[in-house]
Amino acid sequence: MRDILKIFYILSILIISIPAYAAIDGAQLLVQIDRNLNPESYEMYRKLINVEPDGRKKEYTLFTVKKGLDKVAAVFLAPASEKGRSTLRLGDNMWLYIPNVGKPIRITSLQSVIGGIFNNADILSLDYSAEYDVEKVDEKGSEFLLYLKAKNKTVAYDRLKMWVDKNKKLPTKIECLTEAGMLIKTLYFKDHKDFGEGLVRPSVIETDSPLYRGYKSIMIFAKIKKKNFRDEAFTLTFMPNIDFLRR
Amino acid sequence: MKILSVLLNLLILLTTLAYGEDQYKFDLSETEKKPYHFGGYVEFRPIVFWPDTNATQYKLNYYKRDPGGNTEEYNAKLQFEGSYEKEAARLYFKTNTDYKNYYFGESEHSNLYEGYASLKPSASLKVDAGKRTFKWGKGYAWNPVAFIDRPKDPNDPELALEGYIALSADYIKSFEGPLKTISFTPVVLPVYDHVNDNLGQSNNLNFAGKLYLLFYDTDIDLIVFTGGSKTTRYGLDFSRNITTNLEVHGEFAYIRDYQKNFIDSNGNSFLSEYDARSYLLGIRYLTTIYTTYIFEYYHNAAGFTEGEMKNYNSFIDKGYQSYLSTGNDAVLQKAANLTTNTYGMPNPMSNYLYLRVSQQEPFDILYFTPAITGIWNVDDKSMTISPEILYTRFTNWELRLKAMFLIGGKDSEFGEKQNDYRLEFRVGYYF
Repeated sequence: MRDILKIFYILSILIISIPAYAAIDGAQLLVQIDRNLNPESYEMYRKLINVEPDGRKKEYTLFTVKKGLDKVAAVFLAPASEKGRSTLRLGDNMWLYIPNVGKPIRITSLQSVIGGIFNNADILSLDYSAEYDVEKVDEKGSEFLLYLKAKNKTVAYDRLKMWVDKNKKLPTKIECLTEAGMLIKTLYFKDHKDFGEGLVRPSVIETDSPLYRGYKSIMIFAKIKKKNFRDEAFTLTFMPNIDFLRR
Repeated sequence: MKILSVLLNLLILLTTLAYGEDQYKFDLSETEKKPYHFGGYVEFRPIVFWPDTNATQYKLNYYKRDPGGNTEEYNAKLQFEGSYEKEAARLYFKTNTDYKNYYFGESEHSNLYEGYASLKPSASLKVDAGKRTFKWGKGYAWNPVAFIDRPKDPNDPELALEGYIALSADYIKSFEGPLKTISFTPVVLPVYDHVNDNLGQSNNLNFAGKLYLLFYDTDIDLIVFTGGSKTTRYGLDFSRNITTNLEVHGEFAYIRDYQKNFIDSNGNSFLSEYDARSYLLGIRYLTTIYTTYIFEYYHNAAGFTEGEMKNYNSFIDKGYQSYLSTGNDAVLQKAANLTTNTYGMPNPMSNYLYLRVSQQEPFDILYFTPAITGIWNVDDKSMTISPEILYTRFTNWELRLKAMFLIGGKDSEFGEKQNDYRLEFRVGYYF
């Protein structure tokens, strides 16, 4: 009788547990996270700060526009040495325009136009759901842990581990990993802020990397606004004129 | 020693400034767009040269003088740029002043690099009128299809260049599918006295055009130039990522009825007319440890052959011998004139290889980029090798230390340059 009760107890737990896991649609959750982070098409301002172990820092200000799943462009507003530099991403293709050089050159997602821990893929990031599939979702107390795998080889990081606040459906931490599971960098999402139009999201992303011990890089977001742009704004010919989009 | 002391003090000052900055913050006033912008760049660039007293270029430049060993050169550059924007209109200018203090004295040259008005009624259309650069082509060191740009220096290909006065437009159209973008850039270039007069023959109105396609993730440009100032020429270039870290690019230029002036060893001038087909093929490769390789092969059909270059060097040698025996420098004066516009242009011969290897932030040192660049003249086997270190740690400052070794035998391009090697320090500040 005791054995029967034990089996019944275990079965009951399993029956209760299975629907709870099945209820989490990882792909849908990831899309929801994307939309909670940004509108699909938007403009925004960012400040990127590289901080060295001794506290010295270097700052960059960017204006960024994004349209749909695969179009992002950004122009540097400061410092003076970078002003006018612009970057464009169309899917897997990336270009950098330097005013003195005068023509766009192709760059790769792993390079960094500013140096430091943020690379071009971080600076010109697309929606996570556009680049990653959800392999698994775990529940960790008040958080989900999403295991993401890159959809193809052109994505900067092969795997991501994303910790997500269950209630807010916003990431709190992301570990970026190689295919072999080696940690490249960790992103920490901090300081939730109301950007208006119902968008409440972290306003700061801090990152560190075992590849740059003692260094950290910070991305501060401002003025994220839903906005639609013409496709022509995301072309090589338009790259010297991205600043025109600021109004 | 004095220079070293000044540089050391400068570095200490920069370090102090960097430490003195406040904690990070994002002041929203930084995001406000102002209708005007004013900025610029100032540079100090001392160079030490170790001369090659047997080289023909040394004889040509120093036949009346004896610098007696190393020579120093102090260069300064000042650039201002500004813009004013109102709704769809924008005015832009960029000036450049170069100052040089060297063995022969001082020189200063100021001019307007760019100055134009833009009208941008939509994201699809822009019209520019005034002086501007175009920078056509995909090559890093050379651009055979850059028909309406001044030639860039392969030793410093990212330097700003002076533009030409033109009326131009950009029309862009985007699509879904394999053809993602088409853009068309028509250009009208007048060449008259004091207007673009070094572009070609005066009193002509010239037309150029570029059709850009992003087709199957490949950048493709189709280029044409026609008018009376230069013979008609056509260009094609492309650039594509084969993998995320490997890019290939190329250019092809076809110049109809190209006229090449050259001399024999006695200085007699000859003219050869032919259709010139120049091309460039290159790759850019980024390794997993962030080493970037840029490799290019350039065939310059308008360039001199090894024999033609040998004749030019023989002519200078004869002129030098004549000067030593008679004191008459007429031959050397003629050679100097030929050097300015033809033989003395950067990389004037026919076949070159270019390799640049740069390492981004080695040993976890941020903003530190060591690099080495080699240019190899395939025809005469001479070469330059230029190691350099670039440091951009201090906001708006750029520090570069660069050496150049010129290697080559008699009558070769780099072997006959006036120096064996040089050491250059560049400190630049953007404001």
